[in-house]
Amino acid sequence: MDLAQRLVEERTELATKWLDLLLQTYPEQTQKLWRRNKDPFTNPVGQTFRQALSELLDLVLDWSDAEAVSEALDKIVRIRAVQDFSPSQALSFVYLLKRLVRERYWRELEKAGALNQLWNFETRLDNLALMAFDVYTKCREQVYEMRVSEVKHAQHKLLLRAKMIVDIPAGKAEEAG
Amino acid sequence: MADFKTKPDELYKSIDHTPPKAGWMDVPAQFRPGNWCYPAKPEVLDYIGFPNGRKWSPADEDWKLPENWKDIIHQGFRERLEKFRSLKIFMDVCVRCGACADKCHYFIGSGDPKNMPVLRAELLRSVYRKDFTTAGKILGKLNGARVLEEDVLKEWFLYFYQCTECRRCSLFCPYGIDTAEITMMARELLNLVGCNINWIQEPVANCQRTGNHLGIQPHAFKDIVDFMVDDIEEVTGKRIHVPMNEKGHEILFITPSGDVFADPGIYTFMGYLMLFDAIGLDYTMSTYASEGGNFGLFTDNVVAKKLNAKMYAEAKRLGVKWILGGECGHMWRVINQYMDTFNGPPDFLQMPKSPITGTVFKNAASTKMVHITEFTADLIKHRKLKLDPSRNDHFTVTFHDSCNPARGMGLLEEPRYVIKNVCNNFYEMPAQTIREQTFCCAGGAGLGTDEFMDMRMRGGLPRGNALRYVRDKYGVNRMACICAIDRATLVPLADYWANGVDISGIHELVGNALILDGEKEREVDLRQEPLPGKEG
Repeated sequence: MDLAQRLVEERTELATKWLDLLLQTYPEQTQKLWRRNKDPFTNPVGQTFRQALSELLDLVLDWSDAEAVSEALDKIVRIRAVQDFSPSQALSFVYLLKRLVRERYWRELEKAGALNQLWNFETRLDNLALMAFDVYTKCREQVYEMRVSEVKHAQHKLLLRAKMIVDIPAGKAEEAG
Repeated sequence: MADFKTKPDELYKSIDHTPPKAGWMDVPAQFRPGNWCYPAKPEVLDYIGFPNGRKWSPADEDWKLPENWKDIIHQGFRERLEKFRSLKIFMDVCVRCGACADKCHYFIGSGDPKNMPVLRAELLRSVYRKDFTTAGKILGKLNGARVLEEDVLKEWFLYFYQCTECRRCSLFCPYGIDTAEITMMARELLNLVGCNINWIQEPVANCQRTGNHLGIQPHAFKDIVDFMVDDIEEVTGKRIHVPMNEKGHEILFITPSGDVFADPGIYTFMGYLMLFDAIGLDYTMSTYASEGGNFGLFTDNVVAKKLNAKMYAEAKRLGVKWILGGECGHMWRVINQYMDTFNGPPDFLQMPKSPITGTVFKNAASTKMVHITEFTADLIKHRKLKLDPSRNDHFTVTFHDSCNPARGMGLLEEPRYVIKNVCNNFYEMPAQTIREQTFCCAGGAGLGTDEFMDMRMRGGLPRGNALRYVRDKYGVNRMACICAIDRATLVPLADYWANGVDISGIHELVGNALILDGEKEREVDLRQEPLPGKEG
């Protein structure tokens, strides 16, 4: 049995099941609506997940373009990073693919004495999880930065315009006086 | 040697990634950093005469509620049901058809079922059924009724402060239930037991004291305006006079204070001033009515009425004929739908008529207040402005319909008409995300505070998603809007979801394109960035 080949052959089914597992991390009523509505603008989360997971799966199978992997991850992680999840819950979707692949191919590979193929593929998924962690952290940092800059920006500009403080003029202090 | 027998699911067993299966009534509210706003300071509540001010935190188990809080809420609910026929209808008429379920930006972004407008309203309705309907009293949970316990109150606080009163859901309701008014009533009930948020109550207190949300005093207000006059001179070479608190002019101009103190609203404010100078408008501003916005709308109808009253009071004192209003969102919901019955009709004012074109604004016959994009669109239509739209050629623009002007007053064409006349590159976002169906900025109704950033990003996702689409497809780098709250909250929203898009009001773009008599050759736009072709 060639795991790599099987994954490519069965990618459509895998992508569907991966999406299914991802959607299960949301309440049932929500899942129903997000599965049903295929409009990318009135159902941006459901449709982004559908499209980005499929793209990500292909990139993982191909495993040659780190930047593209990171971009595909960003589409999903950016959303989950601001939803009501703990960090581990937000990133659990990577491990859901691990579960999917194990449950599907473990026995077969064990019988064929080819479990090493699974370990090799799982190494990719471990790397994928670390990449997802980077993206997640970047998103959270951005949220905190936006909080700080919103406050800083508003206060400073107001003081300046109310002529309570002044900006440093151009040129050296000795020349500007 | 240790045995490392691995079971297929062992790795992720430790992560509980599936939500509970329990019904919504049995899932308690979860207060996490980023999904609630800081409570109002007790001294602020004291100042505006709101009861039960205290130091408390939604994250604490004990909310230090007054002992008889249940009676207070029950009595307050009864009074409001008697006073507001609409509330009684909204409580009774919903058939739970689900048309609104996936229309709320917070639900779309978060997936939390309690952000479905039907379920959010059900938080209140369930208590209404128990306390005020016979079927609910007898059948209880079977009839969707429940007793008001502390957990229920906590749920109210969490979810009625996760609603921006944008009314997108109302658009899809076959009965036209105004869910914004349900939120307003729930917030009024919460006020009675001292559960409200500082981002709303402090601006309300400031507005009572100084006339604007930030508490800017008259002299500082004037200094800020002078600062902008300086900036306009730097860009255009022309010194503009801004009449302030002057009696005997034809028009009083009122705009949200966000235009005066916050980036990027100030550039829109400069645009107004330049426009008025260009057409020689006979107007004055007021440091007393120095706030078009009305945070009272987000907390209590009596307070909203009180804060609104200054517009007419100041118009009367200054002896103007009519009022011109700036680019604001909820200000226009108040003006268009409540002001007339709050404080009108203002018979001392005249039917608004443009002194430049002679156009009579019959749509404002009763309120006597005209929206500036209506006014400017009329000027352009009559060719009264000299415009050079190429000065905005460094922008590829889209337009975000601000919720209240779009859904609260049907102002859809005028802003677009103005933009298309002052900019050469304009592209619409997808149809299901604009006009009446526009998606909220997720920071309205008093929720645009920094501690609420997570929730703002969740709720901002549908808008951001549509924005990213036009950024990628057409190269959009500027999103115009006609609301001061938008101009503040859309900035981080765009940074997070559609990086590279800046936010501005429409009159900033007007100010860039507008050719003033006797101006110097412009090198920079109002933000003092080089104009196209002047980059060298």
